[in-house]
Amino acid sequence: MSNTTDLTGDRGFQDIRESMYTVVFFLCAAVSVITTAGIIVALILPTITFLGEVPMSEFFLGTQFSPAIQPTVFGVLPLAFGTLLITFGAAMVAIPIGTLTALYLSEYASESRRAVLKPLLEILAGVPTVVYGYFALVYVTPLLDAIPGLELGTFNALSASLVMGIMIIPMVSSISEDSMNAVPDSVRNAAYGLGATKYDVSVGVVVPSALSGIASSFILALSRAIGETMIVVVAAGQTARFPETTSGLLNSFFVSTQTMTSAMVQLGTSDLAGGTTAYRALFAIGLTLFVMTLVLNLVSDAIAARFREDYD
Amino acid sequence: MATDTTTESGFGTVSRTKGIVFEYLTLASSVAGILALSVLLGYVFWDAFGMESAEIAWYGAFALLVVVPVLAFVAYTQRNPVAGEAALELFSTTMGGILGGLGTVTILEVVTGADIWFGYFVTVVAPLCALYLYGRSQPNASWVGLAMLGFLVLGPPIGTALLPITTTIVALIGGPFVYLFTLTIPGALVLRYVVEDYLELGDGDLTAGVMVAVALLAVPLVDRLPLVSRSVWAIFLTTLFAPLAVVVWKNLADRERRAGFAGPGVFAAGIGVLLVVTDRTALNGPTPWFDWQYVTTSPSRFADQAGLYPAIIGSVGIIVLVALITMLLGVGAAVFLEEYAPDSGLGGAVARFIRINISNLAGVPSVVYGLLGLAVFVNLANLGVGTVITAAFTLSLLILPIVIISAREAIRAVPDSLRQASYGMGATRWQTIRNVVLPRAIPGILTGTILALGRAIGETAPLIMIGVATTAFSPPEGIFSKTSAMPMQIFAWSSFPSQEFQHGVVAAGVVTLLVVLLTMNSIAILLRNKFEQEEL
Amino acid sequence: MSQDTSSTEAEREETDQLITTDPGRGGLSEQDNTSTVMTGDTIIQSRNLDVFYGETQALQSVDLDIPENQVTAMIGPSGCGKSTFLRCINRMNDLIDVARMDGELSFDGKNVYDDDVDPVTLRRRIGMVFQHPNPFPKSIYDNVAYGLRIQDRDVDMDSVVEESLKKAALWDEVKDRLNESALDLSGGQQQRLCIARAIAVDPDVLLMDEPASALDPIATSKIEDLIEELVEDYTVVIVTHNMQQAARISDKTAVFLTGGELVEFDDTGTIFENPESQRVEDYITGKFG
Repeated sequence: MSNTTDLTGDRGFQDIRESMYTVVFFLCAAVSVITTAGIIVALILPTITFLGEVPMSEFFLGTQFSPAIQPTVFGVLPLAFGTLLITFGAAMVAIPIGTLTALYLSEYASESRRAVLKPLLEILAGVPTVVYGYFALVYVTPLLDAIPGLELGTFNALSASLVMGIMIIPMVSSISEDSMNAVPDSVRNAAYGLGATKYDVSVGVVVPSALSGIASSFILALSRAIGETMIVVVAAGQTARFPETTSGLLNSFFVSTQTMTSAMVQLGTSDLAGGTTAYRALFAIGLTLFVMTLVLNLVSDAIAARFREDYD
Repeated sequence: MATDTTTESGFGTVSRTKGIVFEYLTLASSVAGILALSVLLGYVFWDAFGMESAEIAWYGAFALLVVVPVLAFVAYTQRNPVAGEAALELFSTTMGGILGGLGTVTILEVVTGADIWFGYFVTVVAPLCALYLYGRSQPNASWVGLAMLGFLVLGPPIGTALLPITTTIVALIGGPFVYLFTLTIPGALVLRYVVEDYLELGDGDLTAGVMVAVALLAVPLVDRLPLVSRSVWAIFLTTLFAPLAVVVWKNLADRERRAGFAGPGVFAAGIGVLLVVTDRTALNGPTPWFDWQYVTTSPSRFADQAGLYPAIIGSVGIIVLVALITMLLGVGAAVFLEEYAPDSGLGGAVARFIRINISNLAGVPSVVYGLLGLAVFVNLANLGVGTVITAAFTLSLLILPIVIISAREAIRAVPDSLRQASYGMGATRWQTIRNVVLPRAIPGILTGTILALGRAIGETAPLIMIGVATTAFSPPEGIFSKTSAMPMQIFAWSSFPSQEFQHGVVAAGVVTLLVVLLTMNSIAILLRNKFEQEEL
Repeated sequence: MSQDTSSTEAEREETDQLITTDPGRGGLSEQDNTSTVMTGDTIIQSRNLDVFYGETQALQSVDLDIPENQVTAMIGPSGCGKSTFLRCINRMNDLIDVARMDGELSFDGKNVYDDDVDPVTLRRRIGMVFQHPNPFPKSIYDNVAYGLRIQDRDVDMDSVVEESLKKAALWDEVKDRLNESALDLSGGQQQRLCIARAIAVDPDVLLMDEPASALDPIATSKIEDLIEELVEDYTVVIVTHNMQQAARISDKTAVFLTGGELVEFDDTGTIFENPESQRVEDYITGKFG
């Protein structure tokens, strides 16, 4: 054993290397923060200029959107309406199917069926969205059009929302299933012990217990639908409309509609020189979209955090 | 609560009926989305392969020769999963080799050219590989990491400075020989390691020798083939034929896995016989849109001449760059968050902020990333409208959160007892990460990255925002060159009103994209299976 | 503090007896005497050592002198802080964010919690063997060579690996398959491999955290035989929940009871036959814990 006890451990070169790697890895992680900052700055700067040119009231309350033809009008309401319309349609498909799927996977399915179904469901979210758009335009619309009494335009909100609904099923089902699996078996056993059937347990016990997780999955799926672009660009058309009447509201599903995202694509693909109001409108709409999805994601996180607390 | 009690008259089963109906309702919901997608996929494959022009008898032959044998094989793999795994290995090696070969040809032949590749090979790739191998054999040489970083940073400028010299050398020895030295021989060395040490199949030196000999001896044959240059042969030998040979060898050597050959075997034989039968008889077969001509020619106004070639090359080029960028940044960020970041104090707060930030970035719509790319990479950094590099950076930022999240999961799955063992031996943090954590986490990280790349290859909206061309008639010629991409071309064609485009050319494009995705995913699944087996 | 570590043989004989008796700290109702015993040179010495995990106190003002080249066992019910003490010695507790310590713990006369002490250097001189065998998923050879490689040791790798495996009584079983994965070994072999891995870098002290608790009786007895041989070259500190094991292999025994309190520390024989504290006697005889 050595007589001098030196534990200071000056390893010279190794120490430099250690601190260097710490810095390198920190910088890698910092890229994500820089990205967020970049997104916010890139969206806000042109938006400020934009709001100097177009009053905030016209942008947020205007019911007309016509960026290309003079005089240009930039009301975001018709776009927001289109987005909500298609999101609503997608939710009508994805929420019931996704929730029931989650119930099946967590309560009824055997281990082997789960092992087959889960990866298959993930495929739904893995197909490129432009492909879904193509499906909606070329296969789904003609299919729906063949239904007697349904008058559909070549571009319409209905088939876009149906297909989008299929796409977001896995978002609803996987998070809902996680929260249903988090319900402890003791809760189920308590109900069985009182003579409940499997149906009673699933619907009466598991669903209420997992409610916050299920709600969080709905919100996340809606946020995904709001931000979805290619399906609506390819299949829903580019006509911004804001219904003045109730019948117009019902009719909106069957005709061409423009959403916030598809308006962005329209603005992005038209030959806009960098300095125009229309170019800056692109960023203003982008910022509105970003804020909407961010708020939904944060709300979803907050609700999900609550359900995690419940069973920790 | 209702109960299952059966009343005396036997009508008390209502509540049970309700339960059964509900169970089937949930089951139906579970398969509804999958069924809908399968129908749509069925349509698109039907269109892409021009099935409607085939007659009933052809379908009979198809079912008999291809569908039944393949289904029989699938049923067989239920009893013998090892055979199924072997078949998946053969499939993904073949497809991965073709994709990898295409990617390499794209980068080396189309984008850079043999001279530039040789320059950077000498100054960057070869030193890095040599240092890496040296570092593995002498892990106590602590300068190796810094030297590698040095070559990573200084190599490219030195390579650029030396380009006139290396170009002269390439002109003297010729492109094919460059590939022999830079791809075939290093490939043979890897093969030697795999055969002898990793899989322990047999004599590594002999195998490597055979590979180099095959590379040289096949040249006269290659010269006679159209379309295949000596360079392309050297590349595909390294990416496709050599790995495939090893996988075949490995599966042949194992009695249980041998049955796996039946899968690809019956499929290939069935298709072959079917083609011969269709050719020799008066039977009308399908007239596919998705064929060799389609993937090797440029887009056209005329449906029967249209091809996806420039878009395929563009997509492959973009994805290769995205893979490099996201692997480096994603693993780095995940290592920081899992291994360096403290749980408490100021550092803990910073780490928590980064984590929350990453999970929120994963939820930002892709079209917004397009705006970021437009503002930062196009306008601020002036990397050019719709260039390969702009697209690669934009898509990298888009999938980075997903890559980081999956890399974190892979790193977290490394048992803590191994870290403790390493720290207990007096290892530093980096030594523990390099020797214990990363080797164990790499398969999981790769799986997650490949799946995320699958998302990137299908993304369209951000590419529209940064001005990627919807249609390009020639492939990109460098990373600063304008490009198209597969989803962009599909998007452009889908607005063509003609039936031939809507039900033919676009369908073929969709099938191409899906085949690429399927290949990437099956490689990811294979990696994950391997990973999980080693966990046990 | 600075206990003189270079005492003579004669002094050692003398200090073999009980030399210090501290009154129990913390105002406990019972009269607990925390005894400190000196034999041989003290290599590890703690004074007033407190450890907290967040709000929970895991060790209460522990005074303990661990003698060189002897086996010191730490026993006590689970959660009593014996493993915590072990992990303080090589600062493995640093890896837990919420862990905090007060007091002094010196190794070879140097307080290991001084600001200028580098835990990595410390751990290179104090080896550790864990409760569950944790070989790296590498070859047997690479496992043993791991420490030498990370420490840049300029030695004949092959001979050190062979030597270490022989010391760990594993050489005969693995000499023909050094390049095979360590994970293919049995649990007992894996644990001996972990011991070989720890002694390959020739540490001064070996810390063992219940090294046999995950093993069957035959593998356990092999590990115990091995410890008795190792103590000729190393100082061994072993945590165990198995009192018979402590009685069989250790020279000194420290008894920790609930709340992280060191109740008694003495020659193993004394602890098991004639403990000073009633609580220790109750614990040893199974009335408590």
